[in-house]
Amino acid sequence: MTSRFKIDSVLRPDVLIVGAGGAGLRCAAAICEKRPGTSIVALTKVHSPQKSHTSTAQGGVAAVDPKDPIDKVVYHMFDTWKGSDCSADQNIIRQVCESAWSQIVWLERRGMHFSRTEGGRIAKRPFGGHMLDFGRVKAFRACYEADRTGKGIMDTLWGEALKNEVSFLNQTLATELLFHEGRCIGAIAFMEASGKFVAILAKATVMATGGKTRMYQVSTNCKQNTGDGLALILEAGLPVMDVEAVQFHPTGIVGPGILASEALRGEGAILRNAEGEPFMARYAPTAKDLAPRDLVSRCIMKEIQEGRGCMHGDHKLPHVWLDLKHIPEHVHRTKIQEVCGFFKKFVNVDPQCELCPVTPTAHYQMGGAPTNPVGEIHTNATETVPGLYACGEFAAASLHGHNRLGTNSLLELITMGKVVGEQVTQYLSDADPPPRSLPQDAGALIFSQFSAYFAAKGKENYARIRNELRQIMMENVGVFRTAEGLQTAVSVLTELKSRAGQMPMHSQSLTMNQELIQFWELNHLLDVSMVIAQSALARKESRGGHYREDYPERNPEFHYHTLAFMTEYGKVTLDRRPIDMSIHEAGGVNAEKFGIIERKY
Amino acid sequence: MSREYDITLKVNRYDPDAGRSWVQSYELRAGGILRFVDLFRKVNDEQDATLAWSSSCEHAQCGTCGMKINGKPLLTCELLVERAVEIFQTQVFEVEPLTVAPLIRDLVVDLEKAYERVHEAKPYIMAPAPTHPEGDEYRVSPQRLNQYVEATRCINCFCCATACVTQKNYLGPNAVLVNIVRVMDPRETAKEERLKVLYGETGSPRCRTARACSYVCPKEIDIAHFIALAKEGALSQDV
Repeated sequence: MTSRFKIDSVLRPDVLIVGAGGAGLRCAAAICEKRPGTSIVALTKVHSPQKSHTSTAQGGVAAVDPKDPIDKVVYHMFDTWKGSDCSADQNIIRQVCESAWSQIVWLERRGMHFSRTEGGRIAKRPFGGHMLDFGRVKAFRACYEADRTGKGIMDTLWGEALKNEVSFLNQTLATELLFHEGRCIGAIAFMEASGKFVAILAKATVMATGGKTRMYQVSTNCKQNTGDGLALILEAGLPVMDVEAVQFHPTGIVGPGILASEALRGEGAILRNAEGEPFMARYAPTAKDLAPRDLVSRCIMKEIQEGRGCMHGDHKLPHVWLDLKHIPEHVHRTKIQEVCGFFKKFVNVDPQCELCPVTPTAHYQMGGAPTNPVGEIHTNATETVPGLYACGEFAAASLHGHNRLGTNSLLELITMGKVVGEQVTQYLSDADPPPRSLPQDAGALIFSQFSAYFAAKGKENYARIRNELRQIMMENVGVFRTAEGLQTAVSVLTELKSRAGQMPMHSQSLTMNQELIQFWELNHLLDVSMVIAQSALARKESRGGHYREDYPERNPEFHYHTLAFMTEYGKVTLDRRPIDMSIHEAGGVNAEKFGIIERKY
Repeated sequence: MSREYDITLKVNRYDPDAGRSWVQSYELRAGGILRFVDLFRKVNDEQDATLAWSSSCEHAQCGTCGMKINGKPLLTCELLVERAVEIFQTQVFEVEPLTVAPLIRDLVVDLEKAYERVHEAKPYIMAPAPTHPEGDEYRVSPQRLNQYVEATRCINCFCCATACVTQKNYLGPNAVLVNIVRVMDPRETAKEERLKVLYGETGSPRCRTARACSYVCPKEIDIAHFIALAKEGALSQDV
């Protein structure tokens, strides 16, 4: 019965930002600085922008000060290229690494509480995969605010947004994108607390919905990261890119999956197997515990597979140990205070005198909505949609290719957020306002989805389907993948999707009906999981976070970005986008460093 | 292996559609290492899908899941069952929403309303100090930063504001702390305007030094200490 639902109000700002985390609000700040008076509406699923998942990032932001006597921007560019397993876009790498330091200074000038050196300057720490002199020795490159760098960024950007009078719609979901003559003109949104629908007609729409790995059993993502943004993109008939590239962070705290930052290993923590052996030295003799995340995750899984892991009694999860006992007490107290607190609080372990149980946890998706260097969303390998932009983890520009280095994600938010904001202001200068009236079918999609959820009959159960989804994704589409396992995942997902239509709802209310939201989210998780599984099946090679046991080597035939469309559930069409190699092609002394290089640490 | 417990949750419920409030009991068996958010999820999954509650990051970094458990405001994502049994010496827990904002449904409150007080305290630099002569970032000595760095750890979970003995015409401990951070931050030059808010009618004079804020703060920030410094006029000390 669709007549129950209606669009209750219409807002007409200049810009709509979907997702008010680090990327969305850096974009908002850039718009307000460049074009004061621009009206911006920002949506967030959480209670306040300050609660965004950016706040939980711990370790730091990589940035080379161009005046640094030792470190060089080109080393950072090289590390990012090498870390990506040669599938990041070099035009993006250059743009981001070259603007990194100016963005750190921008944040500092606006009040971020960076940790300091004795001389009062911004302190820096080493981080996995960041090296001096093209991979020779670890670099001090990550600017940080203790172990709460993301919170520092979020608080600063949220403060700027308040100062600039950005309007927020909190606890609000974007449910469908609106288009007029091929141009994006905003979105329909649903406000959870009031149960009302609002149409937001905007000249430009920026998607910055962040992470999307809640489909895995162990995940560091907050519970709102359910792939809604990507599902909207797919529903609009647009492609997603490189979604098979999922990063498993090696050190999730066993149980809740909470992230134990790489900063711990930056400060000297060591991974040990059940026998107490510091095993990373065997796999990566130079970088050891600070090798990139995908590699460390695979080493941990290998140790577990070969019988040198432990089994956690309560959580029934295999794990290895992280040893922090030898780290001086003052470092525990001042530099890794929050993270050490997690071990005490969530697993009742004191890292100062006990070994900490850790296991790989789904952490980040390198892929996302494909964009060009200024954040315009692609419709295919070359063309873009007018008025529709993306930045942050939601987007794939691509800075990370198939594996992201630690501290490069926060860097992407603050650099690409700014670039996209500035591009939006340019677009606004001669964009026509959206039409006065709503497109005829505005809301039709979400109304029919909600009607179906309310009307569904059957014996299925939301929790059971959610748990089965998380388990199949973790086991078959996780750290190690095979053709057989991925095919099984595809058929299980197809079955789960049809079962998801038979879950009865226990309340007919629209006001803060969390079950309704969970049904909607579950469908998105199933959609995005299907595209991940099929993209992973098609990439018959191993590259970065995507590791196929049946194809363990990188294969030059797959030297492209995966584009995937899904117009009907399970029917995934694949296309390609070339990888930008402009630094390599430009020639010069370092050109060969940016070619197809071996990835060894 | 941790021990299993038989837990009773007595949850304060509210249905906005019917305007009805009641207390509902849920009995469940749970491992000691589960957290209260896991218990609520278990209730949703196994007994009652309509129970509404809020969380996000679930590792005490976002401050969304604050509630009162047996009267004490805390973050339910970091309260392990075994610790709760130890602290409260019972297996029966009364679960109530925070009292700092209007109720939306069950345990979900309108934090947006609570945040208005934080917005009033202006959580940003109003007027930045001039740039350093050598450019780049402003120089802040670690000694200087250490004086107020604890206060920057606040996540606005509103546990302190719920516990505070002053409930009326007061910004609340967390919003006062927002202001104190920028009074102590050498990069902020709008000190006079800040002090006007801090010492104004809804500022630190409303604090009665009961220290409840420091007692309940999930981040273990000694909020009362900072407010006491403000009262003594001892916030800006040169290092």
